[in-house]
Amino acid sequence: MFERFTDEARQAVKLAQQNARRLNHHSIGTEHLLLGLLDQPQAVSSGVLGRHGLDHERAYQAVAGLIPRTPKDALDAEALETIGIDLSAIRDKVEAVFGPGALDRPPQRDHRGGLSSGRHIPFSPGAKKTLELSLREALALKHGYIGDGHILLGLLREGRGLGSRVLADAGIDAETVRREVVLRLGTRRKAG
Amino acid sequence: MSDTAQLASDAGSRDPAVGLRAVRALRMLVDRLEALQVENARDQGWSWQEIAHCLEVTRQAVHKKYAGGRGLLRRER
Repeated sequence: MFERFTDEARQAVKLAQQNARRLNHHSIGTEHLLLGLLDQPQAVSSGVLGRHGLDHERAYQAVAGLIPRTPKDALDAEALETIGIDLSAIRDKVEAVFGPGALDRPPQRDHRGGLSSGRHIPFSPGAKKTLELSLREALALKHGYIGDGHILLGLLREGRGLGSRVLADAGIDAETVRREVVLRLGTRRKAG
Repeated sequence: MSDTAQLASDAGSRDPAVGLRAVRALRMLVDRLEALQVENARDQGWSWQEIAHCLEVTRQAVHKKYAGGRGLLRRER
């Protein structure tokens, strides 16, 4: 599915992960997908939402208010210091190899009961559903690509996640936004 | 130096609460490092046996911990 994603759509998914990481959340939900869309000011979806008064900053605050951070995951730098271990030095070296945030989350159990590192934040069922629906929206519009606009359409179609909750709380009418996005996407068959 | 570190060195690190908290913090750090390294080794095609050898544990132990036991599609090598 991802091979049909435009650069903006890929970037939105990547930014969703970064936003989840910044918020110290354990999975990428529909609310993080929304933040990923809004984090690209020039994209179709953030343009439409911006005209309805929702920008990244406002949505970020809303999401931060809806789900608390999980401070218990933080490594105890002070305790490590008492035995002469400089956590920031270790973090620098580990992140140089495994990327930012690699040590920030504890290992997670996957569905088979095996442990994987906390490096990758998994998608929530709602976010997976949203991405599937974005494909379906693209197909319904006979578009040969999935852009960030289609992800927003998927988010609106999914309708039940925190992403939709943030939109509703901002007084945004799903059906109106839907129509505007479809209009903006037009009848272009190809990305670009 | 932070308050806790100062306290620990003042007490000659004999306060069990400080010492045990450090052990716990270190264990959490080790757990995260191990998960990253095992995952990296698997991504690079290492067998469970090779990983177990480096960690000086049994193959079964590392496999059970990181591959899990449930499900039919276990990657066993």
